[in-house]
Amino acid sequence: MTAEAPTNGRVRVWDFPTRLSHWTLVSLFGVCWWTAKSDHMRWHRIAGYGVLGVVLFRLAWGFCGGQTARFGDFVRGPAATCRYVRKLLGHRGEDAPAPIGHNPLGALSILVMLALLLTQTTLGLFAVNVDGFASGPFARWVSFGTGRRFAHLHAATFQLLLAMIGVHLAAIGFYRLARNESLVPPMIHGFKSRAPSGVVPYFVPWWRALFLATGIFLFVALLLSMR
Amino acid sequence: MLLLGAVLALGTVGIAWATAGLAPIVHARQSHFKALGRAAKSLRDQIGRSEPDWSIVASDAREIERLAAALPSWFPEGSGRGHGVKTRARAAIWAKPQEFGQAARRLLNRAQDLTRAAATRDPRALALRTRALGQACGSCHRRFRARSSWW
Ligand code: HEC
Repeated sequence: MTAEAPTNGRVRVWDFPTRLSHWTLVSLFGVCWWTAKSDHMRWHRIAGYGVLGVVLFRLAWGFCGGQTARFGDFVRGPAATCRYVRKLLGHRGEDAPAPIGHNPLGALSILVMLALLLTQTTLGLFAVNVDGFASGPFARWVSFGTGRRFAHLHAATFQLLLAMIGVHLAAIGFYRLARNESLVPPMIHGFKSRAPSGVVPYFVPWWRALFLATGIFLFVALLLSMR
Repeated sequence: MLLLGAVLALGTVGIAWATAGLAPIVHARQSHFKALGRAAKSLRDQIGRSEPDWSIVASDAREIERLAAALPSWFPEGSGRGHGVKTRARAAIWAKPQEFGQAARRLLNRAQDLTRAAATRDPRALALRTRALGQACGSCHRRFRARSSWW
């Protein structure tokens, strides 16, 4: 505990929509993986639409959600990221204030992860399996050969996603072991025990998330009805 | 030593010869299957429509039936995995010839059903027969083709 921590020792960092998006993505990723392995294509498609919806939601939430969810709050330029890495590795430079939410490296991994997931779902929309029978909803717009190429890219992007998840888990392990900081519980209940520099982030009303989620649900439904 | 060298050289030549003979067989098989896949997808694309284009349906059905009838001849003994040419044809094809033959016959039967359904111009019968055809592809692939259906 640092001296400037508030007396109750807890500060809220992640809002509910951000946490829900995170864990929904984790579960849907598992469902997609298993249904692809076991050839349950109907459920694979449904889970994939879910991933698409959650990713779009998270992207939009990055512009109108709580402070720690906003890209404008946590995405940093190369210079600031380098400074952060130097500090992380123990080279004490000038004292930049520790961010309340995501650090600059975490920000980078969020951008890469969301980009990969968006790429992955888009590829899936056009993918065709070897029989030519199971396919994404937009496969009718492409030839068999092109649809197969989409399927192969879909499989390659899956490997990249696995690698990215590996990096993510390794980072969690690093923070736990080297910095004695647990990142998982805050992503579950939303609180961090230490308040760095006593800053308290702002949040937005819950109905904003509901409004946004409804809009995105309708958008995805409309998109799929175009096939 | 000389003998060993000679044996090795002969062996290498033998493998090279076998591979040279095998590659065209495997590649021809895969291109037949690609034609089958194109026809199957083209057919599937007609199913979701309010009114299928019956001339496309008929020509796809004919193509699938033709290829299904020829399918067993694409698998000569020794053209599976482990003979030096990249293929997903499992050894089980030759280890269980009866089952493989059954799977191939099933495809042919379903293709014939499909051709008949196409002739009736009944969209519901067509959808039903197309689904049955897809199951014939998938069940054979699960048993006799390596890797998931997405690779
Ligand atoms: C009797 C078994 C059997 C049936 C039935 C069958 N296939 Fe296959 N198929 C195979 C095998 C075995 C391979 C692997 C061939 C190889 O890699 O050499 C294959 C491979 C393929 C490939 C990949 C070719 C490539 O480029 O490597 C396609 C496409 C394909 N099948 C489409 C179909 C479609 C469409 C149907 C149904 C209309 C179907 N198959 C029915 C056994 C079958």
